[in-house]
Amino acid sequence: MRKEESLTEHLDWPLFGALITMLILGLATVYSVAYNEDAPSLFNFSEKYGRQLFWILFSLFLGLLVFLIDSDIYRKFAIPIYLSTLVLLVVVLFMPAVHGAHAWLGVGSFGVQPAEFAKISTSLLLAKYISGLTVKQQTTGTVLTASSILLIPMVLILLQPDAGTFVVFTSFLFVMYREGLTFDPILLKFVNSIPGVRYKETWVGSHFIPILFALVFLSIITLLLDSVIFHINLFGLDLELSGSSGVIFGLLLIYTISWLLMQRFSTRRERSRMMIVLTLGLLIASALSFTVDKGFDMLRAHQKDRIELFLGLREDPNGDDYNRNRAMAAVGSGGFLGKGYREASVSSVRSNHVPESETDFIFCPFAEEWGFVGVVILFALYFFILFRIIIIAERQRAAFNRIYAYCVAMILFYHFAINIGMNIGFAPVIGIPLPFFSYGGSSMMSFSVMLFILLKLDAQRKDVLR
Amino acid sequence: MNLDARRNVILSFIFLVVGIYLIRLFYMQVVDDTWTLRANEIAEKRKEIFPPRGVIFDRSGKKIVTNQTYYNLMMVEDSIVNLDTAAFAKLIGWTRQEVRDRFKEIVDGEGSYYNKITGKRTPNYQTIRAYPFLKELTLEEMSKIAPHLANFKGFYEEATSARNYPYKSAANILGYLSEVYREEIEIDHFYKPSNNIGRAGIERFYEKELRGIKGIKYIVTSALNNAIESYADGKYDTTARQADPLKMGMDVVLQTYGERLMSKKKGCIVAIEPSSGEILSMVSAPSYDPNLLVGKRNISANYPKLARDPNLPLFPRPLQAEYPPGSIFKLVQSLIGLQEGVITANSGFPCDKSMVGCHNHPSARNIAEAIKFSCNPYYYQAVRRIIQQGVKKNNFADAEYGLNKWYKYIRSFGLGKELDADVSGQRPGLIPNSDFYDKWYGHHTWAFSTIRSISIGQGEVKLTPLQMANIVAIIANKGWYYTPHFVKSIGYRGPLPQFRKKHWTMINRRHFDPVIEGMRLVVNEDGGTGKQARMDNIIVCGKTGTVQNPHGEDHSVFFAFAPMNNPKIAIAVFVENAGWGGSWAAPIAQLMIEKYLKRKVTDKDKEKRMIEAQIAFKNVD
Repeated sequence: MRKEESLTEHLDWPLFGALITMLILGLATVYSVAYNEDAPSLFNFSEKYGRQLFWILFSLFLGLLVFLIDSDIYRKFAIPIYLSTLVLLVVVLFMPAVHGAHAWLGVGSFGVQPAEFAKISTSLLLAKYISGLTVKQQTTGTVLTASSILLIPMVLILLQPDAGTFVVFTSFLFVMYREGLTFDPILLKFVNSIPGVRYKETWVGSHFIPILFALVFLSIITLLLDSVIFHINLFGLDLELSGSSGVIFGLLLIYTISWLLMQRFSTRRERSRMMIVLTLGLLIASALSFTVDKGFDMLRAHQKDRIELFLGLREDPNGDDYNRNRAMAAVGSGGFLGKGYREASVSSVRSNHVPESETDFIFCPFAEEWGFVGVVILFALYFFILFRIIIIAERQRAAFNRIYAYCVAMILFYHFAINIGMNIGFAPVIGIPLPFFSYGGSSMMSFSVMLFILLKLDAQRKDVLR
Repeated sequence: MNLDARRNVILSFIFLVVGIYLIRLFYMQVVDDTWTLRANEIAEKRKEIFPPRGVIFDRSGKKIVTNQTYYNLMMVEDSIVNLDTAAFAKLIGWTRQEVRDRFKEIVDGEGSYYNKITGKRTPNYQTIRAYPFLKELTLEEMSKIAPHLANFKGFYEEATSARNYPYKSAANILGYLSEVYREEIEIDHFYKPSNNIGRAGIERFYEKELRGIKGIKYIVTSALNNAIESYADGKYDTTARQADPLKMGMDVVLQTYGERLMSKKKGCIVAIEPSSGEILSMVSAPSYDPNLLVGKRNISANYPKLARDPNLPLFPRPLQAEYPPGSIFKLVQSLIGLQEGVITANSGFPCDKSMVGCHNHPSARNIAEAIKFSCNPYYYQAVRRIIQQGVKKNNFADAEYGLNKWYKYIRSFGLGKELDADVSGQRPGLIPNSDFYDKWYGHHTWAFSTIRSISIGQGEVKLTPLQMANIVAIIANKGWYYTPHFVKSIGYRGPLPQFRKKHWTMINRRHFDPVIEGMRLVVNEDGGTGKQARMDNIIVCGKTGTVQNPHGEDHSVFFAFAPMNNPKIAIAVFVENAGWGGSWAAPIAQLMIEKYLKRKVTDKDKEKRMIEAQIAFKNVD
């Protein structure tokens, strides 16, 4: 430390406060779900809530340690940290499998998942690499280097196999997008190889990542809603819509709303350009949704099976292993105000109806107990955290700090979107925890360390210029 | 390039996802009730009420299948408080070890399921869930336990119903119930584990008609899973409805009588009402009391015994025993010959014993006499004219042509295929055509001389007793039949549609008269082979048969219908290893006809002789 100042002087209190609120909410939910009449004390460490409390305290202690260390080391040691994580990711592949995946390092219940920490070290190295580039350096080579920083741990994680964390790693693509590191140079090479074509930039190439994700998102939604039938009561007219036409209906709705917003807020010059983009987008999206729907019908039975299995559509709704259906029943039965604290009849561990209801499906008991009101509060809290991180990111003077902050924001957003999507039938069931909420030491520690590094970087942001 | 604007792209992504999720959650939690109902179902706050199974009446309105109340002793582990195992064991008459073993059995058995994906049994035992500790207790057994249950928290009685067969007969027709398999639950969500499903006979074929409509009741429960009130004032509840009764065409008195006549014998009786196709009686001897297979305890005690019995009581002879039909086939051959015009009612053939053996009788001068004498050489010569019509120059090709023509006629009698009856597990029998013999001997290598034994219903031809009884019904009707069936009416809706359709044979009505005349002679004239079936006041038309049995004594067979001018009953009787047709089958057929038409039997000596006879029946202790 270069200056004598209190540890907390530059701490971002709003974010820290939101974090503590989230931890308390999560602990309360774990207590409710795993409640054992015979050991009601929160400090009983043989119960899940006792252990969760320990993990929270331990994580805060780790946070304190992070605050004692000068934030400079993250930039300086990004490469060794990254490499040692890779070593751990290789070592873990030789460990005995738990639940069919070679993901755990360590003994018994005190194991850690290197994949959790790989998120941090990859964020650090990506931040270091991209912050060292200038705009002119954004060539095919730099795009590929940045991509391989992600790809190496992704491949190792896929070997475990851990599909959930693998998917989370794609969140870094958004960070690259934010930093202007796009796939445009690669696309340009192809486009400009056509004689007579000389582009300096393509719109598709620059916005490749959000476009790609919008398309993937749309395809998954189309497939998930394929078998659903919507009933819409429009002016006394009872409409029955198939799932895919429901998606197109939704797209039209979004189109109309955007058009209205545009009429209100944009200038005339922008308007015509945006109209073209919007209309094109609608047409492409509808065409894609239609193609996915029809193309899926044309697939062979076993190919269909595989996709439906991945999306979790293929289990028998009355079979005992139908996790998602049960999770959705728990969430849906919460109602507006919920059933009340510790009144979750479907998702408590004791009733054993929703498996993993204290870890990956912890949103179930929360939504069942607190209802829609609770859900809105939780969403607001998450949105506040994400929004606050982006505000923090944008106020950084050092590119390294900004990029790292975006990494944190996108990882948290991914976890939030996929985990809750699992509970409401919008995402395939891939086991990833809800940050700061789910029971489990590994994820608790890694998310806390990740966030505290950000808080520390932010607290020292003014040092950079000194 | 303004990269800062890209922050807004990311922010709008987040905003969009949060927004869409909130809309979805609002719909799921506040608007749509589906998930709440599903949650109630999962949390077992949705009680399914199974109605008692539909009852079954016989043709005269006697209740032949009813329901009886039984009790299960249920247990919920969470509600059990300080169980005094010793006292509890004493109450239900077990040892303490047996009680402990039963707990373990529930956890591993009822409390687990077979996971198709992993292929392993997966534990799913839940301490808040009710499991039957003891099943199917009678009122008597339960009344000893029930008063003391207050001392054993977590145990309670629950009423269920089980079948009861007051006439103790027709086991082979009615079938039995047993617990559903998991695969059946997966296919049809009507069932829950430990429910019963029809496994055989009428109980199986009419499962959907008998099981009724189950009711659903949503309840609000306390933390201890006790019902407090109904959910949403019973808005989503439905009431259970018992199925309409089935009315059978069977005459239970005749059925019981037939089983008595066939006691200590092997064989079967099939009786059909020709005008409707309703099966009046279908005895498969030996039989057993259907009450032996009611409930899991009875099935596990009695089924292995029945399956091991050397007399094969579980073998449904009328449906599955395929016999060469023997002499009854001569009736069909006569009809085909007449229709084809290769013989006339007055065609005579000499009884030429050089071709095939025959018993001593004068040569038949016409069809009626050929039937009366059951003359084998006559039918060799008559059927040769059907098969070898001289249409083709090649003798083999001619036989092929003739056989296939014959085959079409035979099929129109409903032979060589399963009848579309309301019973499963029929055998089709066998009627050979040219493809069959081509496979057997080779194309154009066979002619009438090769296959001549089919003329007298021997050789390759095989029919089931049900098909043979149907032939008698066709002759009684002079050319048509309704598919034989058991159930006359489902509720008040009449029989299944396939039993309302008349099937016509390819034989003209007038050709039946000489054949029926022959059958009259068989019974009512001296020298006929079936005089044992003769009755006062009623003209019985019949035909004896002696089915050659390579494994031992021939089977005794008799077919008849009565009365001649207004047939009410067509009957086929098989008595295995009982020698020639007139000896045992004819008198049994006569007693059955008399019992059905007159409701009482005059010749008590004959009746006693038939009931007491033991033929080829192995005694089992």
